Amino acid sequence: MLAINTGANMSSSWQSLTRIFKLGWNNFWRNRWLTLGATLLMTLTLTMISVSLLMTFLLRDTAANIRSKIDLTIYFRDDAVADAQITDLGNRLKTAANVASVHFINKTEALQIWNRLPINENIKKPVTATNNPLPRSLAIKTTNPDTIPTVVTEVQTADTGHLICSECVSYTQNKDTVNRLVSVTRFVQLGGLGLSLFFGIIAIFNVLNIIKITITARADEIEIMRFVGASNAFVRGPFVVEGIMYGLFATIITTLFLVIVAALASHSLHGSTGALAFFQLINIDLFQYLMNHFWVLVVSQLAIGMLLGIVVSLFSLRRYLRA
Amino acid sequence: MDDVLRVGNPLPATPIKKPTDTEIPLIEFQHVTKEYAHRPAVRDVTFKIYEGEFVCLVGQSGAGKTTLIKLLTKQENPSHGSIFVAGRQLSDLRNREVPAYRRKIGVVFQDFKLLPQKTVWENIAFALEVCGVPKEDVTRRTDKVIDLVNLGRKKKSYPEELSGGERQRVAIARGLVHSPKLLIADEPTGNLDPVNTWEIVELLYRIHQRGTTIILATHNRGVVDRIQKRVILMKGGKIVSDQHGGKYVI
Repeated sequence: MLAINTGANMSSSWQSLTRIFKLGWNNFWRNRWLTLGATLLMTLTLTMISVSLLMTFLLRDTAANIRSKIDLTIYFRDDAVADAQITDLGNRLKTAANVASVHFINKTEALQIWNRLPINENIKKPVTATNNPLPRSLAIKTTNPDTIPTVVTEVQTADTGHLICSECVSYTQNKDTVNRLVSVTRFVQLGGLGLSLFFGIIAIFNVLNIIKITITARADEIEIMRFVGASNAFVRGPFVVEGIMYGLFATIITTLFLVIVAALASHSLHGSTGALAFFQLINIDLFQYLMNHFWVLVVSQLAIGMLLGIVVSLFSLRRYLRA
Repeated sequence: MDDVLRVGNPLPATPIKKPTDTEIPLIEFQHVTKEYAHRPAVRDVTFKIYEGEFVCLVGQSGAGKTTLIKLLTKQENPSHGSIFVAGRQLSDLRNREVPAYRRKIGVVFQDFKLLPQKTVWENIAFALEVCGVPKEDVTRRTDKVIDLVNLGRKKKSYPEELSGGERQRVAIARGLVHSPKLLIADEPTGNLDPVNTWEIVELLYRIHQRGTTIILATHNRGVVDRIQKRVILMKGGKIVSDQHGGKYVI
């Protein structure tokens, strides 16, 4: 009698799994051109996402870097204040909650800094130890650049006006420029992210289409598998394996591509005066930066690539697996 | 040459199998109707087929033969009525039970449905592999069924290297490799010349002699008349006659 029962058992599960992997790999290898197309489109998608990720990291770090450079220097008139008074003020400021460090720069140190400045030697020359108009100052670093105005107010209210002059506070001179730079960085970061997202979505649709094509090309095979009694899970299996392969190979190609580009960029940065000089300016070695984030990048790519491959394959298979 | 000379001779008669009162039919259709967009392809069809029968399902194109087969293989569900296979109602089968059900029936199509990139042996073995059959069993059962359809010498050939008749023999072998009790052949000779047609009919006859129930859907009058078995004639989605030892009469 033609008894109807489900014939699956545990011993055949392992065998099925190895067959699914073998079938998936064979399909991947046999349809080389379609496979190559799908892998390259996946690579494009991953490159978009990786570059976007890297840019986000990089700009975040850059913004933090720029903001950390915002410090406060208070200059003192030579005729009005004694060194001891300045040191005393410095010690009092150190106890404030949002002040990280306070450093007193005397006239000798001010001269040393002056001499290190990358400016014309003819301008530097007139300033000597005996003829030193450079003011003494307190270099103050805060825990958060946003609290600088509070510190300034604190200093201004705590001390008599003749000790300092407000226009001599470096922060007021620099803050607009720095804030503008930070805003630009944030804008570039958001713009870049939006643009990457836009191209990423286009790339995902392309991946979806090419995987659909690979599946349509094998509609007969799917039909035959179903007729001879393959379970839906078995039919899906090889396509899932292929999806994983797309993700895996795309990750390898993308990582190699990014490493090579970063290495070449880092190499050409030395002495660069072009757009890449920006990275030099903010003191970031692109290659080193990529290497520092290597595993985060690889794992993200693998996860996104494989997930995309699997989800798109399963999605495209749905209409072939209706009972 | 001998084969050509034998073309058209009636096949040896086998006694008509009479079911006992208690025997459960292998297949039972009870007032089955299948509609596509409110147009019935099969209308109020009722019949029983018992184990060991050879049934020719005949009728012109569009008579409803293929729909009936699709209902039997659970590619389609009836709009009305019930279908029982081995006493179990097909509509009760859960989706995950359908693959196991399909392993119990062999299906052969007019267009063979072979995988072009696989050899004869691989095409047949594939049917077992996708169902998780152990490797040794795959080899043993594939070799056995290849011998049955007499394709031992062509087992390494690809479908494109075979004649139409040989391709259909591969398809039949694949349909038989699960050792099904029921083999459904939907116009298996539709694409074949007369010589290959008789080869396939004889092969089906041999398979039937070994105990397999066969449903052969065809509109080839010569084939039906030669087999001299039960003939279910369909017209406009309805069964218009059902005769044992019948002939193709419209």
